[in-house]
Amino acid sequence: MVTRITQLPTLRIDPAQKVVFDYKGKDYAGFKGDTIATALYHNGVKIFGRSLKYHRPRGLYSLDGECSNTCMEVDGIPNVRTENTLLKQGMKVKEQNVKGSAENDMMGFIDKLDFMMPAGFYYRTMHKPAVLWPVAMKQIRKAAGIGTISPDFEMPGRFEQIFPSADVVVIGGGPAGMNAALAAADKGLRVVIMESRPWLGGFFDYRTVDYRDSEYKKNKQLYIRAKELASKVESHSGIRVFKHASVVGTYTNNLVTGFQIGGEKDNFTERYIEIRAKSVVVAAGCIERPLLFENNERPGVMQVGCVHRLARTYGIIAGERAVFSVGHDLGLEAAIDLFDLGMKILCVADVREDGQNPYLMIELAKRNILLLKGWVVSEAHGSKRVKGVTMTTLDGTISRDFECDLVAASAGFTPINGHLTLAHAKLRYDSHTNFFVADTMPERTYSAGRMLGLEDSLSIEVSGMLAGLKAALECKKFYDAGICKTSDGVANSQESINQLSSEIDTVTAKLKELPGTARGSKFVNAPVKGRKSFICFDEDTTIKNIKQAVEMGFDVPELIKRFTSAGTGPGQGGIPGHNLPLYVAKYTAAKNSSSGSHPKPTNVRPPLVPTFISTYAGRKHIMMKRTPMDQMQRADGGVFRKIGVWERARYFSNDFSCKKEIENVRNNVGMLDGSTLGKFRIHGPDALKALQRVYVSDMSKVKAGRIKYSAMCNDDGCVIDDGVVIKLGENDYYFTTSTARAGSTIEWIRYHTRFDGWDFYLVNLTDSMGVINLSGPNARKVLQKVISQDNDASIQDVSNEAFPFSGYREFMIKNTIPVKAMRLGFVGELSYELHVPSSYMVSLWNMVKEAGKEFNIQNFGVEAQNVLRMEKCHIILGQESEQRTNLLDLGLGFLWDRTKKDAKTIGAAALRHAENDPTRFRLVGFKMEDNGRAPNDGALIVDDKVRGYVCTARDSFTLNEAVGMALVESHLAEIGTRLAIFEDECKGELIYGKVVPMPFYDPDGRRMKS
Amino acid sequence: MSLTITCPVCGKRDGYEFRFGGEDKGPRPEEDSLTPQTWCEYVHLNKSVAGVQKEWWVHKDGCGSWFTIYRNTVMNVEVQESEACR
Repeated sequence: MVTRITQLPTLRIDPAQKVVFDYKGKDYAGFKGDTIATALYHNGVKIFGRSLKYHRPRGLYSLDGECSNTCMEVDGIPNVRTENTLLKQGMKVKEQNVKGSAENDMMGFIDKLDFMMPAGFYYRTMHKPAVLWPVAMKQIRKAAGIGTISPDFEMPGRFEQIFPSADVVVIGGGPAGMNAALAAADKGLRVVIMESRPWLGGFFDYRTVDYRDSEYKKNKQLYIRAKELASKVESHSGIRVFKHASVVGTYTNNLVTGFQIGGEKDNFTERYIEIRAKSVVVAAGCIERPLLFENNERPGVMQVGCVHRLARTYGIIAGERAVFSVGHDLGLEAAIDLFDLGMKILCVADVREDGQNPYLMIELAKRNILLLKGWVVSEAHGSKRVKGVTMTTLDGTISRDFECDLVAASAGFTPINGHLTLAHAKLRYDSHTNFFVADTMPERTYSAGRMLGLEDSLSIEVSGMLAGLKAALECKKFYDAGICKTSDGVANSQESINQLSSEIDTVTAKLKELPGTARGSKFVNAPVKGRKSFICFDEDTTIKNIKQAVEMGFDVPELIKRFTSAGTGPGQGGIPGHNLPLYVAKYTAAKNSSSGSHPKPTNVRPPLVPTFISTYAGRKHIMMKRTPMDQMQRADGGVFRKIGVWERARYFSNDFSCKKEIENVRNNVGMLDGSTLGKFRIHGPDALKALQRVYVSDMSKVKAGRIKYSAMCNDDGCVIDDGVVIKLGENDYYFTTSTARAGSTIEWIRYHTRFDGWDFYLVNLTDSMGVINLSGPNARKVLQKVISQDNDASIQDVSNEAFPFSGYREFMIKNTIPVKAMRLGFVGELSYELHVPSSYMVSLWNMVKEAGKEFNIQNFGVEAQNVLRMEKCHIILGQESEQRTNLLDLGLGFLWDRTKKDAKTIGAAALRHAENDPTRFRLVGFKMEDNGRAPNDGALIVDDKVRGYVCTARDSFTLNEAVGMALVESHLAEIGTRLAIFEDECKGELIYGKVVPMPFYDPDGRRMKS
Repeated sequence: MSLTITCPVCGKRDGYEFRFGGEDKGPRPEEDSLTPQTWCEYVHLNKSVAGVQKEWWVHKDGCGSWFTIYRNTVMNVEVQESEACR
C-alpha cells in the first residue's frame, strides 16, 4: 500500500470518494479519478502481467498506453489498457499471459532461454520437419500471446457512432491545441477538439513551474495556465470538446476518425467519431523515447513523465529511493519537483554533457541532488522488480551502483507523428531536434506545439495560435470559393481574408522572437551488449535481436520491424517507433559507411490506438423492411424470417414442410403476400429503347392487356433478374423484378443507358405498391366475389375467356381501390396477382379473406410457394442460378431475341459466344431413386469429381416423391442419367437420383391455364 | 470513407453515398463487328491507372444519377469537378 498525497492542486482524483474493485477475487479500493493501473499501484501491485514471449514481469511504465505492459483482463474483456481506463465501482480485474500468477509465473524460465530464440526464429526454425510444425505451433501459441477471450463472449456496453462535421478539427487538447481551437473559433468557425486524456491541459496539466508570459502575473504556474485555457475552451460556444477521445485515423480530404470513452454521465460505453473537417490542426505533442539499457522494462523502471504524473495527478510517490537517468530538461524539472514532494532521489544522470537549463541546475544544486552529466543507467538489477542500478559514463569506463526501487528513465522526446503520416505527410529526420518532422504537410493541415520541437511554454502556445489562424484562413477561403454556403453569418469578404492574413503575419513574427526549437538529446544507448535491452516491450524485441536482423542482411527499419516484429504489438509502435530507426541507422552506419546512416521512420497505420471492434461496429443496425401485411400475417400465425432486406412470413405453422399450406393451394385456394416483389414504372419517349437494352426479349412485342415474362442478363450473359412487363400505354410500362433486385434496378438501367442520352423516367414503386397472390383452383371464384361487388359487367367477367392466362386487367374495387391484376402461374395453379397501392393492401386483404371464407381460404408462406413452384420447375434466381449461370444454362434461351442487334442488349454478345460452349452447366430436374428422401439444397453432384450441385429439392406431397432441380455438367443432363449426390457430413454415403423431364407437376399446364 | 465526390446535381458529398461504376471506357461497342476478344476487353479489362483517371460513379443515396469524375487513385481524391451526365 502506497500512501497518497491528497492535498495537491494538480490532482485529478477525488480522495473523498472511494471506488471498490476486485483484483483476482479480492476487494481493493482506489479513488474516483484513478485509472485501474494507478489504483493497483496504490495497492502495492507492481507486476501487472507477463510479457508476450519471455514471460518477463512487467509493470507500470508510461501511463499513456504506449505498451502492453499494463494490459489486463477487465470484466472479461482481455487486453484492456488499464492505464487508460478509469476505475469503476465493482470492476473485476485479472492479470493475463501467466501460468500461476504475475508474481510467480511458472513460464518465467523462458526468459533464460532467449538464446534459443534469435530474431525471426519462428520463421526460420519452425518449418523443418514439416510434421512437427503443427505440434510446435500449438505449444508456442499456448505459451506466447496476451489475453484470451471465450468464443461466446458477448461484449457488454453500449456503443454509438457519431459523424459530426466541423470547420477545424484540433487533435490534442494541450496548450498548443487549445490555443489553436480558440484562435479558429474566435474567427467564427466551428471547431472540434479531441483530447485522449479525460481532461484538457496536456503537459501543462501536472507542472508547477512558472509560466513565463510577461502578460500574466508572476508566479502563475503552468497547471493554472492550463486550467485557464481549458475553461476558455470549454465555455466557447464555437468549440465542441471531446475528452477521453483518441484519434485513430487521419485521411486525405481531412477526414478524422477516433473514439471516445464514455464517462459516468454519458449514455454510451464508447463511441466512434468520424469528422469531416475543412482543415486540421495536429498538436498531439510528444511521448518519451525509452532509454535502452539492460532490463529497461523491469517493474520499477518508468518513464519520467509517468513518475511525475503519478505524483502530481494521482498523488502517488512511485518509490522510496529513486534514481533518474534522463536526457532532457523536463527530466531535471521532474526530479526537482518530486524531491520537493518528498521523494528520495539518489542521483540524476543526464546523458547531455552540457546544455542544461541553468535555472534547473541551480535548483538541483540547492537541493543537493547529485547530478552526473554524461552518465546513463546501464543495467537495472532485481529479478522481479528493481532493487538497484548500475550507472556508467557514456563510454562505459566508470560505473557506480545504487540501491533503489525506482528508476525514472527517458532518453528524450519523440513527436506523435502518426496523425500526419497517415494523411500522407513525408517525414524527414531533423538532426537539431532529433525528431522526425514533416517535410511536406497534407493539404489544409497544420501542426503545432511540442511536436515541432518547441519546449518553451509560450512558444508552444503561440505556435498553436498560429496554426489555428492558418486553419481558419483555409476555411474562410473555402467558404469564399463558394463550395459551401455558410449559415452562421461568417463574413466571407476578401476583407476578412486580408485581415486574417495580416494577423498571421503578426503572430508569425511574434513566434520568431520567442525561443525556437530546442536541441533534442541524441540517440544514446547504454554501453551494454543489449541481450536484455528491450527496444519493443510488446513483442519482447531486444537490441540484440535488431543486431541479428541487420547481420542477416536486413537494412531497412520497415523490414526489420517485420522480421523482429518490433512495433507490431498493441502499443502501435509507441515504444520502438523512434528508437528502432535511430538504432538501425547507427548500427548500419557502423557496419558499412556506404549504406548511409540516415534514419528512416517505419510506417504507421490506423488505428493509431487500439480500438474495440465493437466501437467500430456501433449499435446493432439490423433494420428490416416490413410489408403492409406484416401485422395481419403475424396475427394469422405467420412464422417470420429475414429474407434479404425484408422480414417475410415463411411458414404458417410449425410444420416447416408446409404440407397443409401446399395441399390447400393445390386443392383449394390460398393467399400469399407478394409485396416484396420489385415494381417499377418506366415512361417517356425512349422508355422502350431502355427496355430493349436491358431485357433479352424483344420488348416491342409486349401487347396491351397481356403480360410478358422476360429476363435481364449482365454483360456475361448471366441471368440477374426475371419478371413480367406490362404495357400501360405508348412508351409507358409497368414491370416487376425479383425481390433481391428491387434495390438496384434503376441504377442498373441508368448505368447501361448512360452514354445514350435517352429520355425516360423510372419510378420505383416497390414500397408504394403491395401484391396479393391468390392461387388455387378456387381462386377465380374468390376473385369474382371480390370484384363483383360494384363493378360493371364487362370487368366483372373473370372467366378464362375474358381474363385468360397471361392476361392483364385493371379494375376498381368499390370504386376506390385501383387494382392491377395479372393472370400468372408461378405456383402452377390458376393464379392471380393483384397489385394495389400499399395503403389499400389491408382493406383488400380483408376483402379477399372475407370472400374466401366459404372456400376456407388459407394463408401460405414463402416456403410453401418455394415447393409449389419447384414442382412446376419455375426457377428462382439465386436458387436455380448463381453468378456464373447464364440464360441458356437455365433453359431460358427461348426468351432471347437475336434479331435486335441495334439495341445492344446487355448479355447478347456473351450469349452468342456461350451458345456453342459444351462445358457449361445445364439445369435438370431429378427425382430420387427408390423413393428416397430429398437431398439438402446445395448438395454436390459427383462422380470422381464434382459435376454440379442441387439447387432446390424437396419431398413433394403433391407428387408423393422427392424431386428437385440441379445444375450439372451437360453430359449428365440426358433424361435417365443417374446422379450421385454427396451431402455435407454424409461420410461417403452417397444418395442417388435420376434425371427426369421437367416440369414434374402438370406438365402441359392445364391447371395453370384453365 | 475519406473520398468526397461532387455530384453534378447534389454537390459535394461524402463518398459513402456513392457507388463506383468502373473506369470510363466509352459507349458500348457495336455488336456486328464484335469478336469475343474485343467484347471481353471492353467488359473486363481495366487500365487501373496509378494517377488521375476518369471514372463513373452513381449517387446511390442521393439523386441516383450516373456521372464521371476525375480521381487521383494514389491519393484517393477527386481532382476536378465532375462532368454532369444524364
